[in-house]
Amino acid sequence: MSSYYNFKKIQVIPGSEDLLNIILSKIQRKTPTVIHPGYKISRIREFYMRKIKFAQDCFDEKLDHITGEFPKLDEIHPFYADLMNVLYDRDHYKLALGQISKAKHLIDSVAKDYTRLVKFGDSLYRCKQLKVAALGRMATIIKRQKDSLTYLEQVRQHLARLPSIDPNTRTLLVCGYPNVGKSSFMNKLTRADVDVQPYAFTTKSLFVGHMDYKYLRWQLIDTPGILDHPLEDRNTIEMQSVTALAHLRACVLFFIDLSEECGFSIDAQLNLYNTIKPLFAGKPTVMVVNKIDKKRMEDLDAPTRERIEAMLARDGVTLAQQSCYTDEGVIAVRDTACDLLIAARADMKLRSHRVQDVLNKLHVAQPQARDDVARPAFVPEAALERQRAAKEMVRDPDTGELVPLKRSMTLARDVEAEHGGAGVYNVNLKDRYLLANDDWKQDIIPELMDGKNIADFIDPDIAERLAALEEEEERLIAEGFYDDNTPDLTPAELETRARAKIIRDKKALARAAHSSLATMPRMELHGRLDPRPERITRRLNTLPILARRLAAKGKDLPATAQLMRSVSQGGWRAAAEDPAYARKPSEVMKMRRLEGDQKNRQLMGLAPGKAQYNQAIKEVRFTQRGPNLMAKRGESDRHIMTKMPKHLFSGKRTIGKTDRR
Amino acid sequence: MRLEKCFFCSSNVYPGHGMMFVRNDSKIFRFCRSKCHRNFKLKRNPRKVRWTKAFRRTAGKDMTIDSTLEFEKRRNIPVRYDRDLMATTLKAMKRIKEIKARRESVFYRQRMAHKHAQEKAENQKLVDDMVDLADIPAEEIQQAMRLPEVSGGQRQNAMETA
Repeated sequence: MSSYYNFKKIQVIPGSEDLLNIILSKIQRKTPTVIHPGYKISRIREFYMRKIKFAQDCFDEKLDHITGEFPKLDEIHPFYADLMNVLYDRDHYKLALGQISKAKHLIDSVAKDYTRLVKFGDSLYRCKQLKVAALGRMATIIKRQKDSLTYLEQVRQHLARLPSIDPNTRTLLVCGYPNVGKSSFMNKLTRADVDVQPYAFTTKSLFVGHMDYKYLRWQLIDTPGILDHPLEDRNTIEMQSVTALAHLRACVLFFIDLSEECGFSIDAQLNLYNTIKPLFAGKPTVMVVNKIDKKRMEDLDAPTRERIEAMLARDGVTLAQQSCYTDEGVIAVRDTACDLLIAARADMKLRSHRVQDVLNKLHVAQPQARDDVARPAFVPEAALERQRAAKEMVRDPDTGELVPLKRSMTLARDVEAEHGGAGVYNVNLKDRYLLANDDWKQDIIPELMDGKNIADFIDPDIAERLAALEEEEERLIAEGFYDDNTPDLTPAELETRARAKIIRDKKALARAAHSSLATMPRMELHGRLDPRPERITRRLNTLPILARRLAAKGKDLPATAQLMRSVSQGGWRAAAEDPAYARKPSEVMKMRRLEGDQKNRQLMGLAPGKAQYNQAIKEVRFTQRGPNLMAKRGESDRHIMTKMPKHLFSGKRTIGKTDRR
Repeated sequence: MRLEKCFFCSSNVYPGHGMMFVRNDSKIFRFCRSKCHRNFKLKRNPRKVRWTKAFRRTAGKDMTIDSTLEFEKRRNIPVRYDRDLMATTLKAMKRIKEIKARRESVFYRQRMAHKHAQEKAENQKLVDDMVDLADIPAEEIQQAMRLPEVSGGQRQNAMETA
């Protein structure tokens, strides 16, 4: 709230010359500067209109700022309005602001006129002259405001130095004749450090200090001294005091000096009191008798004292005595004044209509007594005993300190100390387990058994469930659930099984022997023994290989034929005898030539027939096998060679052998 | 301390083994070994991977419905330690394990019952087809399979004889 009436934030008001310089340089900086006679006339007009309008905007902004920032006398607190009237003269102030605002309007109309004229400018020169004229007229208007601007700058500087008085807060207002000790009182209570001198009108303006009382912030205002003469004759300094007295809702401390050291008689001081009394109306007032180290109320002659007392009684003014020199009664004065003000403010609040809004919301609930039965707190006898024991103190023979006769109870820290202290003793949490049997407390609880979590099996009714399972088991046994119903094998079947096992073993043997050979192209490995078509020979099983080999060795066992037959239904002999396969060689050759597509590029350049082709394919595959196994790049993979090999292009010079690296 | 089940293969995860993955919705996945973790990261469904317990259960290869399986459960009801109850439980666990093993063997036998006839037929066929293979000595078979291949001339001869 106090910052609301802080006039320190008003910006500096430049003088008329400065203002012009600021704005002209701004126009130069912020509008385009390059223009040629050859440009289109509309562009030239636009260029100069922009300059004029920009100048208008700048002036408007600046002047608006000035008029907007200064406080409006009708809107601020009457105290400040009156104070400003006293200090700066209300009429002068309003006139200055009014002139500024009028200048703004004049500039606006100038700008409006000249932009209209520029619209009809027929050359760059004419447009430029119009612009110069417009700016010139604006400058003239501003120059005429020189005095207003200077005045406003002075007002601004003075306003910024005004004490920031909050008109609405708790305030003590010190007033009285010059030299009665108002500023000394201020210095006693606050840290305002007001100048105190032994001559009249040391204090020429209002001063503010702050203090604390009852945890509240208080504002103490020191005013210049007032002389006893009519209001019209008062000077500016006195008028400030009067303004403060008139407008601030404060506790007024009227200081009088009974010792008359200030140079004014008691009568004069009392007259002043009577003169300015109307200003105290409705405010708590304290008559402070200062300098009681010199003269007290009690030291006065009876008639004067009675006169004063009668006056006080009539106006309901409290009397307080103090001495800033000996500090006697200073705090008492402060307390009296503050309490009076608090009471007055509370009273005012209670009388306002707003208090009802708050009171409606307040309700203090009071519980109703159920009956008259007394229900004191129950403290167990043991607890009381323990308290009594703890109170009995004895002197410790070692340290000489008073210690309780006996510890009220054994604490966990006592146990710790007994068992080796911190870091050694380990709290046994198992002691606090709540189990059915205390013997079980220290048991090591098993967690795992046979790859199972024991916790998963823990179930209070496991015994019953296990019994049910056993019952079910018995029933199943009785039902023959576990009987093996697999039919027994006959001796012949057993024989077959044994023999089949032998055959399987032999087959496995043959397979193992075969697979242990070094890997070679299969076609190469077993060649071709028979004229059977590809279809049959492709079925490369271990058994036919075995059969062929045995046959080649002359072991014409009956088994060989059987083995063959087992491979292909009907056997290979049957296939060989099949007329479909028995073709004449010439016929076969003819067929192959027909088959060989002359456009097939894979066959081009190869002898007719498949032999050379097959050979070629076989060799290709053989060469690719290694790289393929390692997943390497092969000939046939698509590959883009480096188009610009770095080693051939880097580090070249114009001469010398650096052409090649 | 607890034995956890692997999320992927449902085997035991012993304390200090395997790894745990906590997803950002705070669901916990435990893995018994890197194999399971890797399969999880490949987004494989344990029900479709043949070596997992989940597959065996869904494919009917493991016993899933039985009263012995009702004993092991996470009950989530805290029970105060009781020495007698613990003793009963340990005994029960051993007994349950026994019964379960027996039932599993029956389950397996039943699952394999239809194999007998098939096996018998296969044996018969093998014996009928290759009765002589049984008579060829093992050394001879091995030697024959290790022999180098017949040469081109022999091949020609063989063709002619054929």
